[in-house]
Formats: sequence, structure tokens, C-alpha cells
Amino acid sequence: MNLQLTSDQQSLAAAVDKLATQFESKPAQFHGFALLGDDLERELDAGQYFDIAAVPELGPVSAAIAVERLARLPFTSEFALSMLVRPHLSAELPRPLAVVESGRPGRFVTIARTLIVIDGDNMGIAHPTPNESEAVESLYAYPMGRLKGEPEVMPLSCDAAANVRTWLRVALAAEVSGLLEACVASAVEHLTLRKQFGRPLGTFQALRHRMAECAVLAGGVRWLALKAAWTGNAGDAALAALHAQESATRVTYEVHQMLGAMGMTLEHSLHLWTYRLKALQSGLSGRGAQALAVAEHCFGAKAHP
Amino acid sequence: MDFQWDAEQQAFRSTVCNFLAKHLPPDWERQALGPGSTHQSAFSKMFCGALAREGLLVPHWPTRWGGRDADPWAAFILAEEMWAVGEPRGGQYMNVNWIGPTLMRCATPEQQERYIPPMARGETIWCQGFSEPEAGSDLASLRTRADECGSSYRIHGQKIWTSYAGDADTCFLLARTSGGRQGISIFLVPMSTPGITIREIPSVIGEGDLHEVFFDDVEVPASAMLGAEGKGWEVVRTALSLERVGIPRFALASRVLKRAVGVLRKAERFAHGAIEQAARAQAACEAARLYSYNIVDQRKHGVATGPEASAARFATVVAERLVAEFVVEHVPEALAGGDPLMLAHHQRAIVAGIASGAAEIQLNLIATDLLHLPREPR
Repeated sequence: MNLQLTSDQQSLAAAVDKLATQFESKPAQFHGFALLGDDLERELDAGQYFDIAAVPELGPVSAAIAVERLARLPFTSEFALSMLVRPHLSAELPRPLAVVESGRPGRFVTIARTLIVIDGDNMGIAHPTPNESEAVESLYAYPMGRLKGEPEVMPLSCDAAANVRTWLRVALAAEVSGLLEACVASAVEHLTLRKQFGRPLGTFQALRHRMAECAVLAGGVRWLALKAAWTGNAGDAALAALHAQESATRVTYEVHQMLGAMGMTLEHSLHLWTYRLKALQSGLSGRGAQALAVAEHCFGAKAHP
Repeated sequence: MDFQWDAEQQAFRSTVCNFLAKHLPPDWERQALGPGSTHQSAFSKMFCGALAREGLLVPHWPTRWGGRDADPWAAFILAEEMWAVGEPRGGQYMNVNWIGPTLMRCATPEQQERYIPPMARGETIWCQGFSEPEAGSDLASLRTRADECGSSYRIHGQKIWTSYAGDADTCFLLARTSGGRQGISIFLVPMSTPGITIREIPSVIGEGDLHEVFFDDVEVPASAMLGAEGKGWEVVRTALSLERVGIPRFALASRVLKRAVGVLRKAERFAHGAIEQAARAQAACEAARLYSYNIVDQRKHGVATGPEASAARFATVVAERLVAEFVVEHVPEALAGGDPLMLAHHQRAIVAGIASGAAEIQLNLIATDLLHLPREPR
């Protein structure tokens, strides 16, 4: 047991942070929902960050660390599935990747060159043409789209599907971890600067305690995500995804309460993180499905997805 | 980053588990009720004596004091396995976790020779004289006085909620030698000293756990003071930070949760509502475990432990609560003549957010020291 980052992991984290610096601020003129980071995407691609899980010195934990750090940014791009799930399908698969669950709209579907299509227990891979998907208007702060055609789906075997489901859970937890941290940091900034009754809001214990609880939740998600990335164990991944979706539900409510009306504006960045979290709350059939997976993998009770 | 136990750590855990299998009586789980009871205290002396003889009581202590200089993981693995079975060390876990190490750091050679060897042999029980009727979370406002009187001090005051006091040999006592935080000093007081009166407070958390301790003109020599006069606050803050992750409550909570799920599955009652609650509780236990592991790992690597210890403590409180609530809702017979380990867990879990400093104090520390929110006005 050694929970300190290796020197390679430290270097990777520092490199991601350096790359992220130029994407840390929301453009003042942007008052929308999905702030897509095309330049971020190019930088990650040029630096071969999408393939870091396959580098022996780095591995999936480093990929999870990168996902967590990139998810804190107001800009987004499809990095979580590429970094953590694609290595378990085929590193040759064209990216970006997206998930379509039960025919519902999904994140990055219109730009995805590889789709993971989930329908109940069944899972398959598709490569849609641009004409087979369409963008949909959404509050979620990701580019959302849905399939309008029926691309050919190559089914995955049960074992392959189970493995992909595990890594989808790891990716979800790692991304939620970064989003939670960004939410907490944003609320802390507001509570520090905003004064009411003659003093900063952050001096009121009723708010301090709630923020502290949010921070504990965010930290817990981070640890569970990192452990799941290290073990690749189905039970660890289910625990991480469940805790991530549980925490997302609580934290999104709390941070919006902390920011009041300011958090409802598109001028402020908060919605970029909270509405990404809301998109991820329903991922992989939501908390109920993760709980069934925990029951199966941690308690040995049969789960039904 | 490596989440796998190395061979040495695995071997040590096996050794501890083998010891438990050999030394815990068959009806141990029924005996685990009432951790501060006279019966438990007597058992803990026998049990800790055996642990000491096998080199398992204080492995992380220096060889000078009966340990073998093992790293902090050894102490934590030991604590996990002990707590998972209901803590057969009783109150002696405090000796191992923080009283002994504090004496090694701050005590005079005479105090060390007098008090540390009996701890290392598992022969002695201590209590901590901290809380008072008017000084709970606001510990620094304590009123118990220690008045200098020539070469001795005379102690007047009252402590409350004192665990293990009924059978303790020595009290790690906080008393005021002058005003303010700088006026708090520590005294090592034999509980047999004339003027000390102990009264047990019956409670839902088991026999012999809570006491009032009255100090009525208790005379102790000046040599009973630990460290310098007025420096007790700094000493106790360090000691409490050791204590924050010293009790791996998640270990017993996880075990009880698995057992409760087993009961439900056997009765074919592990249905949707229960599944979701159990899964949530399991995730909270694992989060608390990893938080605590991080603190232990920081200690091993000489990294200063900051407010993360408070986060670990709060995560543990949440996990304890979720498991206890799960049992009450789904295996209610646990509190009515059912599984004694589940009852013992319940009695420990309901104080998880109170003992060793209220959970709300931890939230304050997290808000100020981890999130850097502005402080509350005082």
C-alpha cells in the first residue's frame, strides 16, 4: 500500500495542470451551456494524452488523475472515455467516443466516431456516419446528441461488455470527481467574497458545515475512483460510480444554494459543472443500477441491470 | 500509487488474524458488549498481555519501549483487525495509539520509566480527563484547577463522560494552572489518589463506558506534570490528531454490514430498498477506509497530516451512521436479543460523531483549514 503519487504520476499531473492553465477561465462573452474545448482537444491529442493508460509507467491511475484534473475546467472535451475506456476496447478505435443508452440522447454523440451502444444487458460498438446523429438542445453542459439512423452495431461478448461497463464506471467516477472539486472551489470562492449581514457568507456555520460535507464527499469520490482505476475490479468500480452519483446529487444542490441567484445565471461558470454532473447522474442507468452492481460484486447477490 | 498490500503487510495481517482466532473465546461477541465494563477491562489486561508477549501490542513503538519500530501501517492493520472484531483491547487502544507516544515525546525519563513499560506489557488502563460539564467541544474553557502548593499541586474540579474511568489505573488529566489556553497543563494522576471519586453514568452505549470523575483537593507532586506548565493545549492537540484516525470504525461497520446483508439474503429479504441502502453504506465505508489509509500513508512518508485527518474522521462518522441505520431498519432484531456484534456496533456507532471530538468540530476544521473559508467571528 502506497498512496503517494509516483514521480511519473507527479510529472503527468504537473503536465496536465500546465496544459490546463490556458483553459481555466470561461470566456466572458460565453453565456451558453456547452463550452466545447476544441483547442483543449487538439492539445491533448498532440501530447498523446488520450493514450496514457497504455504507458506502463503511467497506467489507468494516471489516466484517472488526468481525467479528474481536466474535468475541473470550464471547457470540456471527450477525454474520459478515450483515456479510460478505449484501452479496454481497442486502442485503434477512432475517437471521440460516446455512449448511447437505451436510445436516449448522449454526450458527444454528434462528434463521436465510435459509439458504445447500451441496451439493457446488451452492449455493442458502432461507427456512425455524420448523417446518423443529430444535435439536441440541452441544459446539460455537454454537446448532446442522439442517433437518428440505425448504424450497424457490433455486439460485444458478455465478458467484454462486463469489462467495458467496469471501465465506464471508472471513467464516470473520475470525471465526477473533478467536477465536484470544481463545484466546491467555485462555491468557496463565492462564500469568501460575497458579504451579507456585514460579513462574508463563508463565516456562517450553517454554510461552512455544508461546504465541508461537500468537500468530504468529493474527496471520497476521488479516492474510490483512483482505487477502481488501479484495481480494475468490478466491485470497486461499482462503489466508485455509486458514490460519485450519490455525491453529485447532494453537491449540485448544495452549491447552487450557496451561490443563490448568481449560480442560476449563465454569466457564472457554476452551471457548466453542475449540469455536467446532472448529465452524469443518470449515466449507466443511475444510482439504482450501480447499487445492484455493488450488491452483485461486493455482497454476492445477483444484480439485474 | 499502489493499492495492494505488500507481502510484509499481508503477513502481518495474517499473524494478527491468527492471534485473534487463537485468543478470542468462542463467546467473545457476546462479551464485547460494554467496552468499559469491569469484565472487559479484566479481559483486556489478559488479552493485551498475550498480544505483548507475541510482539503485537505496540509493534510501531521504538524498540527502546518494547516495540520493533514498525511503520504506521502495522499499527493501523492491527487496529483494523482489532476493531473489526469489537476491540478486545478495550481502553488500552488509547495507550497504544496516543498516550504512550505522547509520553515518549513529552514525559520526563522518570515518568517514562514509570508509565510506558506497563503499557507495553498490556497491564494498565488509562482514562482521559478532558471533558467537563461546561467544557465539551469548547475544551479550552475547562475549569478544573491545579493550584501550585510548594512542591505539589492540589486539584479541584470535575470531569465528565470519562470512558474507562471505573477501572483505570491512571488519568491523563487536563487542568488549569492559570487563565486562557496557555494556562492548561497536563497531569498524570494515579486514580487511587485520595480525593478522587468516580460515579458511573448509565448509558445506551453499554456498561461502564461513561463516568463522572470528581477531584476534591487531590494532591499530586509537581513531578506528575507532563511537559511544561501551561503547554498542555499544544500537547493535547497533537494527541487528538493522532486519535482522529486511530480508530478504524469502518472495519467493524463493514463487517456488520456484510453480516446484516447475509441475514437478509438468507431470509430472502435483500430486496431493492435494502440493496440500495446497503450499497450506499458499503461505498461510504470504503471511502472512509481510503481516507484513513491516506493519512496513515502520509505518516509513513513523513508528510505532515493536515485537515485531511478531519475529513477522514467525518467520512468515518457518515459510514458508521449509514451502517447503523441500515441495521435498525432492516435487521431490527439486532437491538432486541439478536446478533450481539450488531448490537455492540450500534452502541459504538451512535457515539462515532461525539467521541474524540464532535463531528461538527471536524467540519469547522475542514471549512477553515482545507477549504480556507473565512473564520467565524468569535
